[in-house]
Amino acid sequence: MLNFISSLRLFFSLCLALAGIFIYQTIFNRGTPVYGSAWFAALGVLVAVNLAACALRRAKTASAPFLFLHAGLVVIILGAFATRFYRFEAQLPLHAGQASSLAYNNSGSYELPFSVKLENLRLEYYAEPLGLLTVEEDGGSKIFAAKEGAVIRAAGGEIRVLRLFRDFGLNAKNEVVEKSPYWHNPAARLEISAGGKKKKLWFFGNFPGRHGQDLPFKVHYGLERAEIKNFTSAVTVSSGTGTGLRGEIAVNRPLKVGAYSLYQTSYDPADAGYSLLTVTLDRGRWAVYAGFIILLTGVLLWLRR
Amino acid sequence: MAAPVSFFNAAFGLSLAALAAYSAGYIFKKSFPVSGAHLAMGLAWLALTTGLGLLWARLGHPPLSNQYESLLTLLWFLFPLAFYYRRAGKPESMPAAALAACLFFGTAALLDRTMRPLMPALRSNWLLIHGLSSMAAYAAFALAAAAAAWALCKKRAEASEDFLLRLTKAGFAFLTLGIITGAVWADTAWGAWWSWDPKETWSLLTWLAYAAALHLRKKGFNGSKFGIILLACFALVLFTYFGVNFLLSGMHSYG
Repeated sequence: MLNFISSLRLFFSLCLALAGIFIYQTIFNRGTPVYGSAWFAALGVLVAVNLAACALRRAKTASAPFLFLHAGLVVIILGAFATRFYRFEAQLPLHAGQASSLAYNNSGSYELPFSVKLENLRLEYYAEPLGLLTVEEDGGSKIFAAKEGAVIRAAGGEIRVLRLFRDFGLNAKNEVVEKSPYWHNPAARLEISAGGKKKKLWFFGNFPGRHGQDLPFKVHYGLERAEIKNFTSAVTVSSGTGTGLRGEIAVNRPLKVGAYSLYQTSYDPADAGYSLLTVTLDRGRWAVYAGFIILLTGVLLWLRR
Repeated sequence: MAAPVSFFNAAFGLSLAALAAYSAGYIFKKSFPVSGAHLAMGLAWLALTTGLGLLWARLGHPPLSNQYESLLTLLWFLFPLAFYYRRAGKPESMPAAALAACLFFGTAALLDRTMRPLMPALRSNWLLIHGLSSMAAYAAFALAAAAAAWALCKKRAEASEDFLLRLTKAGFAFLTLGIITGAVWADTAWGAWWSWDPKETWSLLTWLAYAAALHLRKKGFNGSKFGIILLACFALVLFTYFGVNFLLSGMHSYG
């Protein structure tokens, strides 16, 4: 029995089984992922047992690289199980100026041992986006930089740029306002003169194709260079003792709060004061990292042979 | 500033010329085309290095943010690997590298080469470490597959086995490093070191395939059998690198 458990035959069988499962899951399975099933966990246990038995059986005679490689993999799999059973992950939705300690995941809501107040969400662009007007007529198109007060002459008429908005919105009095300093809903108010008549119309970057039937030429308003460089939440974290920790959370720059980590997940272009954070607690990761170090040590020693 | 693409085209042309010269040297059993081919390969790598340097300067970040850029970086590793093994007494590494380079330069020419700024998730030093180790692994596996194909065609698989094994070991080490650095980066960016993303899953599948290949060799799968196994494993590398991006959606859909 021990011979079979530590055998290469079992290793090859497990490799084939895992290959089949991975191909089925990534290409064919449209239902619940197999990775959460008990039988997949059992397969993971079998892989760890096979590796550990193989290493233990040859412990006295095997080389150091062999032992490091196999031990590293066993430690990674053990860490993966710790992560699987004990890892906590939930979403923490925040609005500017408000504090919250309620996080949500598929299982329900959780009261965190601290509260997080979103001071502000800051978006950073690579460069200031450029508003562009595209005028299509007679089978061709021309692009113009949109600047307030500019006049564009087309064969079928004239376009005057009256006002430009980065984030068009309406207030309670139905007045047009900038909802945020960010280019979430770019809009242009244009005065179009054609056939002896003048019209004042709104054109929106997010909703192209408006007024197509009413004009002798097509006009589109859009943006260039609108790529987001980063988005950062400035937060204050308060624990039960009342102490406040100020910090910033950005993509690739999480904030540690005790054993928890806060990650910047997303924002809402329709609501510039909204930020979605992910809260995790995963002590199993340290076992996995230890496994990574043992495995890499084994790989380096193996290459030197 | 000269366009990087003109240097890549020059490198492609030189690689094609080198492949033609190696083939001529083999068919007519003459050595002078082979010497010319070595020179062409060296010049191709210099042109590629210059082009990548210019591209890096223009982008403002390492050329690893999409498939076109990463494929050129993969190619950059291919040439030094071949030169290293040639100096180590494995001359078959050179025609194999020329074959792989022609195929990859041809593929790169078909890919979208639009330059875009880095998305927030890619703005990390891990991009360089994870990207370089993964591309170095793919380059070693590509060279091993091309060398296996060249050796199988010439019916010299047994004589090339030591070389194929060394390349496979180098690729396996780099792939291990690539997967581990990817896991650590994912933990930093998303708070999960493993998410069963299709790219992650297929990378693990590729890693398992090469681990199995290395164990199979010890069980007697030598010579031409080992060469055929390496070709099959490289098919998995190609699916992981290209197929996953084009056919499956996931967190790696940019490159």
